[in-house]
Amino acid sequence: MENMIEIKNISKSYHVVKKGEGIKGALKGLVKKEVKVIPAVSNLNFNIKKGEIVGFIGPNGAGKSTTIKMMSGILTPSSGEILIGGKNVKTHRKEVVQNIGVVFGQRSQLNWDLRLGESFELLRHIYRIDKTSFDEMIDTMDEILGIKELQDKPVRQMSLGQRVKGDLVAAMLHSPDVLFLDEPTIGLDISSKYALRKFVKEINEKRGTTIILTTHDLGDIEQLCSRLIIINNGKLVEDGNLEEIVDDIAPYKTLVVEYYDEQIPQHEKCEIISTEGNVAKYRFFKKEITAAKLIEDLGKQKAIKDVSIEEASIDDIIRIAYEGR
Amino acid sequence: MKNLFKELLHYIDVTLVYIKMAFLSIIEYPSAIIGWLLSNPIQFIVGFATIKFVVAEFGSINGWSYGQLAFLYGLAVISHALSMIFFIQGWFLGFYVIEGEFDRFLTRPLGVVYQFLFNQINIFGITDLIPGIIVFVYGCVKVGFSPSPANIGLIIVMLIGATLIRGGIYVILGSSAFWTRSANDFGQYTQEIFDKTTMYPLSMYPESLQFILTYIIPIGWVSFYPVSGLLGVEEIGIGSAMSVWITLLVGIVVMCVAGFVFSRGIKRYESAGS
Repeated sequence: MENMIEIKNISKSYHVVKKGEGIKGALKGLVKKEVKVIPAVSNLNFNIKKGEIVGFIGPNGAGKSTTIKMMSGILTPSSGEILIGGKNVKTHRKEVVQNIGVVFGQRSQLNWDLRLGESFELLRHIYRIDKTSFDEMIDTMDEILGIKELQDKPVRQMSLGQRVKGDLVAAMLHSPDVLFLDEPTIGLDISSKYALRKFVKEINEKRGTTIILTTHDLGDIEQLCSRLIIINNGKLVEDGNLEEIVDDIAPYKTLVVEYYDEQIPQHEKCEIISTEGNVAKYRFFKKEITAAKLIEDLGKQKAIKDVSIEEASIDDIIRIAYEGR
Repeated sequence: MKNLFKELLHYIDVTLVYIKMAFLSIIEYPSAIIGWLLSNPIQFIVGFATIKFVVAEFGSINGWSYGQLAFLYGLAVISHALSMIFFIQGWFLGFYVIEGEFDRFLTRPLGVVYQFLFNQINIFGITDLIPGIIVFVYGCVKVGFSPSPANIGLIIVMLIGATLIRGGIYVILGSSAFWTRSANDFGQYTQEIFDKTTMYPLSMYPESLQFILTYIIPIGWVSFYPVSGLLGVEEIGIGSAMSVWITLLVGIVVMCVAGFVFSRGIKRYESAGS
């Protein structure tokens, strides 16, 4: 399948003026400026295919937003290039942005003072959307998000959930092929989160929209993302689907077996990590043996009363990926 | 050429929506309208009354009669009002930089400068326009400036030039925020300077200052030179029509410099927040 987004070795650094301590330091800074170059993103490389939903995750300050902003034409990379739909974002900004939608969870593109419909009307003119496709899109969005009942409400009177819905529709009006969502679920309640996830799934299925989202919500990742890109300190740490990353970071599971007495059997393909009375915990590698086989083998040696399987939670996996192994 | 025309139509189309939205926003806050309708005209009427007082005391200011001063003052207020309608955003450029407000413009398929200037057209500027026109028409009558089509044309050209000079200077000053990253509001200072240098004859200031305001910061071309040319008050060495066309030229040059500075600045734009 064709690549929708190509990130070719991009780096971005910020120039920060270093400030000394106290009044003395501040005065010194006036005369002699110490400019520090802080790398935000370094040598990133990846491609995103048409129709993928990619979770772009990493700890605070990892460079997620910087990368999203470079992809959406807001920031220019210090080096390297970004192609969207085969076009360079830096040199063809207007053409590229005609084909992308951007939502920042912490910032709105809607006009604060006016009813929501006015913001949509402005975008209809800016993106040269004809009335028929505009109305169709509003109908579609009404089915997914129930946007029509919000159209006459001034944006300043909206709840956060309603405002985010408005922003999602605003970003979709011109039927972009690519949608960037930067922390869209931040601060949302459960039902608004649910609506947002439904929105992401449906526009991806129905329209084949490529979606890149950053989030700190593991639910978003589990339910939406077919692929994860994890970055930390501006560098790519992991890239793959959730299962692959889980297998990579935590290739083992833990089998907890309760026997009828305290004589604990062993197995050559796993190690016992703890025993407590008649309960034993076995850690085994998923590649080497299945849980079913292990239970069967152990059951032959001693009668088993109860079993349970512990897996590393997504929380743990992501934390391990962030902190580095 | 056809594409360029289509592009222009698109910008006009969007501008009309921006204007509509500006009106709708005003209607949302009706009490603000009354405030502006009162305070802005009063400010300029009082300013002009001061001139009247000075002229009544001394007969003239630096050789300018009362009618000529009204003509100058009126035109200066009109170009001020126009610059407030179309270019007031320049005052707030620093705020846009600090708050990362350019993000929105950069993700839309229109010129960033255009969106920046037009996304909030300041309809309230009209409240400055009214006292300007009143004083100007009064001045026309006093000095006997005939409203012939040629004269009206010259006045319009002059006002376009003057508005571009003012707007360009706002944008240049505001663009400094791209480098300093501070939300300095130059608005108040620049308006003070503009008021003092465009509403009175420039010739009453020291020569060194006149030189600066003619060649370096071309504020003299906002009102003093074209009005001197049009009314023939002072010997400036160029004809009346010529002084008006030079004003337009200066306006275009200042605006081009502003566009250049802005586009250099926006490359340094670093957005804001996470």
